[in-house]
Amino acid sequence: MTQFDRNRPNVQINFPDFDPRKLFTTVPVVLLVILVAAGLYTSYYTVQPEEEAVVKRFGAVVAIRGPGLHFKLPFGIDKAYNIPTARVLKQEFGFRTAGTGNRTSYRKDAALLEESLMLTGDLKVIDVEWVVQYRISNPSSYLHNVREPSKTLRDISEAVMRRIVGNSLGSDVLTEKRVEVAMNARQELQEILDSFDIGIQVSTIELQDVTPPEKVKPAFNEVNQAEQERERLINEAEKRRNQVIPRAEGQAKQIIAQAEGYSAERVNSARGETARFTAILSEYEKVPEVTRQRLYLEMVDKVLPNLGRVYIMEGEGMSPLPLLNLSEGNLQPAK
Amino acid sequence: MKNSLNFSLGFLVLIVLVVVVGASTLFQVDEAEQAIIVQFGAPVGEPITDAGLHLKLPFVQEVRRFDKRLLSWDGDPNQIPTRGEQFISVDTTARWRIADPLVFLQRVQNERGATLRLNDILDSVVRDKISSSDLVEIVRSKDWEISEDDLERAQVAAEEEEEILLQEVVSGRGELVDTILETAGAVVPDFGIELVDIRIKRIDYVKEVQERVFERMIAERQRIAEQFRSEGEGRAAEIDGETEMQLARITSEARREAEVIRGNADAEVTRIYNESFGADPEFYAFFRTLESYSSSLDESSTLILGVDSDYFRYLKDIAPPAK
Repeated sequence: MTQFDRNRPNVQINFPDFDPRKLFTTVPVVLLVILVAAGLYTSYYTVQPEEEAVVKRFGAVVAIRGPGLHFKLPFGIDKAYNIPTARVLKQEFGFRTAGTGNRTSYRKDAALLEESLMLTGDLKVIDVEWVVQYRISNPSSYLHNVREPSKTLRDISEAVMRRIVGNSLGSDVLTEKRVEVAMNARQELQEILDSFDIGIQVSTIELQDVTPPEKVKPAFNEVNQAEQERERLINEAEKRRNQVIPRAEGQAKQIIAQAEGYSAERVNSARGETARFTAILSEYEKVPEVTRQRLYLEMVDKVLPNLGRVYIMEGEGMSPLPLLNLSEGNLQPAK
Repeated sequence: MKNSLNFSLGFLVLIVLVVVVGASTLFQVDEAEQAIIVQFGAPVGEPITDAGLHLKLPFVQEVRRFDKRLLSWDGDPNQIPTRGEQFISVDTTARWRIADPLVFLQRVQNERGATLRLNDILDSVVRDKISSSDLVEIVRSKDWEISEDDLERAQVAAEEEEEILLQEVVSGRGELVDTILETAGAVVPDFGIELVDIRIKRIDYVKEVQERVFERMIAERQRIAEQFRSEGEGRAAEIDGETEMQLARITSEARREAEVIRGNADAEVTRIYNESFGADPEFYAFFRTLESYSSSLDESSTLILGVDSDYFRYLKDIAPPAK
């Protein structure tokens, strides 16, 4: 038998380990291995630094875990939901950040304009853009108390902003009460969200662009221009004043100085003249006759040689006038 | 060998059986859910609101699940006239929850049905309340107050504007919203619903009204701009006037002072002359006359003298006068 076997060509396909009975032992082993592997794979989870994990067992919350590696019951008995509680989240109203390249660009279209146009207390229209920054403060509440937390946040935020702007003057929201509006809005939004136990902490509300509606903007600019023009007109008038007044003050001083000069001159010359007179008088009083004669003759000495013509007339019989050639025109009436 | 095979097969069947029956008996209720058990269509027992694993009869009972969380309702913007006949577009938003899942299931079946009912109820209540309120009551809140200061800052140019500003608010948006919530909230429990919150998300003027408001705003701004300009001109004219006044004052004061100085000087000079010349008026007259001759007679003068004048008296007679 064995000899024949040896000589027969070996046609039997070689299944060296195949034994149908073994199937019943290997399959459970493989299944078991898969089961264990799946069990291991589903029995741990990691939580990132900015996250917290809500662990639910059969749908009920059993624990909230911080960052790190954690273990749980496998096969979906325990489920972990990671919520980024440390991250600051942001909602934009009235505009959207379109891209953050070198320069951040923003987008605003008709639908977004509806989001930001609102009525003010003086029944006018204003365009208010704002940003709400918030954090998930309670991950379990965030998951289980409100179905659409971010939509709710948006809805309530819009309602609150409109209530506050509707209770303010438009000009105030545009300028000095921006901060106040934002602060009040934050507080009111937080109160309402707390009443929903939504698990959100609003960190800030910041007003972005607050402007009059596009159509009205030119008129607002006109007011600014007019205000500047007013300042310009006033400044120019003041400039003119500053040019004229100091000059006039200088001229006034000049006039006074001239008068003082006149005064000094007159007084001094009077003093000089009288001093001379007094001196002569005192000498004259000593020898009046001679002094009189001398003074008279000195005068004649001085005057006579310079005279144009001198006529010496004798007697009173004849008037000299017919002799004079009046046409010469140099006859001066006697002084 | 035969035994172990049978044992293995039996074990597998048992496991499958346990899994099937278990899956039909046990059910999870999530933290965000509530459930009611229905047996052949009829609800059994109280609604289940606790999260976790629960039991029911297999095969004959089934579980209906409902959301336990706050749900959003968002109305379509409605054009509603206010009491002052101004058409505004009002957009409301509400939060609600399924308070009684059993009633909810019976009356509205599901959330879609609930939303339809809420649309009807909320729209009509909002419409009622808005159309019976003045615009200022809808826009402003109860603590609306306008001080003199505010009026100034608002740069009100027209009286009607001021009237609008000073219009008092009786109830305001807060109370309006509260009454809407109260009225609607009283109806919805019939549907197993609790209305938690309702707010006016947006109020806008309808297009045509908005255009008119814009025009009003533009006109107002232009009025303010005009006011600024004329203020500038007025102030400039005022300054110019002051300048002229100052100028006149400075110059005239200087002239006055100069005249005073000159006058004093003249007086002083007169005094000096009087004091000096008064000592001998006759000699002064003589002395001064001689000086005057010296300065007033020159080559253009012709002098006619008699030989009996003082100067020529020696021409006729050189004898000393008889004593």
